Amino acid sequence: MPTTPDQLNDLIRRVAAADRVAFSGLYSATSAKLYGIVLRIVKRRDLADEVLQETYIRIWNNARSFDPTRAAAITWMATIARNRAVDEVRKVRPVALDDVGGVDEIEDPAMLISEQMELTADYVRLQSCLDALEPQRRDIVKLAYLEGRSREELGQLFGHPAATIKTWLHRSLKQLRTCLTT
Amino acid sequence: MTTDNDIDATAGEYVLGTLDPAERAVVAARRLREPALDAAIRDWELRLAPLDAETREIAPPVGLWTRIERRLDTPTDDRAAPVEIGQLKRQVQRWRRAAFAASAIAAALVLAIGVREQVYRAQPTNFVGVFQHGDVQPVFYLTIDLKTRELTLRPVSAERQPGKTYQLWIASNEIGPAPQSLGLVNDDLAPTRKSLTEFDPALLQRATFGVSLEPEGGSPTGRPTSPALHAKLLPATN
Repeated sequence: MPTTPDQLNDLIRRVAAADRVAFSGLYSATSAKLYGIVLRIVKRRDLADEVLQETYIRIWNNARSFDPTRAAAITWMATIARNRAVDEVRKVRPVALDDVGGVDEIEDPAMLISEQMELTADYVRLQSCLDALEPQRRDIVKLAYLEGRSREELGQLFGHPAATIKTWLHRSLKQLRTCLTT
Repeated sequence: MTTDNDIDATAGEYVLGTLDPAERAVVAARRLREPALDAAIRDWELRLAPLDAETREIAPPVGLWTRIERRLDTPTDDRAAPVEIGQLKRQVQRWRRAAFAASAIAAALVLAIGVREQVYRAQPTNFVGVFQHGDVQPVFYLTIDLKTRELTLRPVSAERQPGKTYQLWIASNEIGPAPQSLGLVNDDLAPTRKSLTEFDPALLQRATFGVSLEPEGGSPTGRPTSPALHAKLLPATN
């Protein structure tokens, strides 16, 4: 199964030329990753199915705009999937606050990463910058990104008004940016 | 004044997904015409992307690939996107019925519909413009259907000012040196609709629109008496 970054780049280049066989290969190589990302955000299989379909249609339509010098192929694809998943989860319905699950949803990343991903330098760097945040604020950033949590949901989970969450997010983002660029 | 910090916080929250629906729709529209914002969003996407490693792979249902292939074979479904737009419109109606959304949120979905239509259609008829304080705070946005030449102005963060009213203007070389009033904005901040059939669609596409704060009843001079917020129509495709 083609999974190296170079192979993915090659597949996308062929998809840009409307190569269906390459598109099928790209789907085989990446759909489990993207489905995992989408499902974690939208939580519902029926929505995740719809979002994943739309994600691949966009990948097919926009393959020509992929720039391998700017981002890894999987990052480019995951960004499309996440963006679409967040659009979906934000539009579906107002937050039912009693619907919000516990804070224990952040899985132990160490296990997952050893399972399926090589520990990249970028990941280590981001993780060390996240760890420099206060633990609660780090969890808020990760729950927003990984679980698609809204400010209101995060406020409910952590017992603060949504406005406070927004302030914290802005400070955390600023701190992260500084940490990552120094 | 806009600072890099403002743009960066907005971009970061857009990528995190924590903007509320109205803010998110406005940012999605703004990034099409604001390269600095678009670049900041792309930077945050790259910064946070390593976190994707923490998400477990899950195989999608077996039939999903077939459904994708079928959609490729019927490209009109996706290019014209009537289904998606229909869904969004129903969504807007549902939200209105549920009385959950502030009008701005429902309106933002309408904006999203407009933007989608622009992206998908070769010859769009819908255009949007965003009125902002600095580059950050969207105050109003307008949509124009060039086919019917109907303009709709919706408040995003505009607030009522006692004894004052907002007034809408259009300016264009073809019209003359002074902006021309398009009338007052509804005082209850409900969407304001105007028929612009006296203007040529091509002129509307090029024109600058303005919103100024005027004494009750409108500008006494026929010209804006306060600094106006300006907006140009967003081109159809990017």
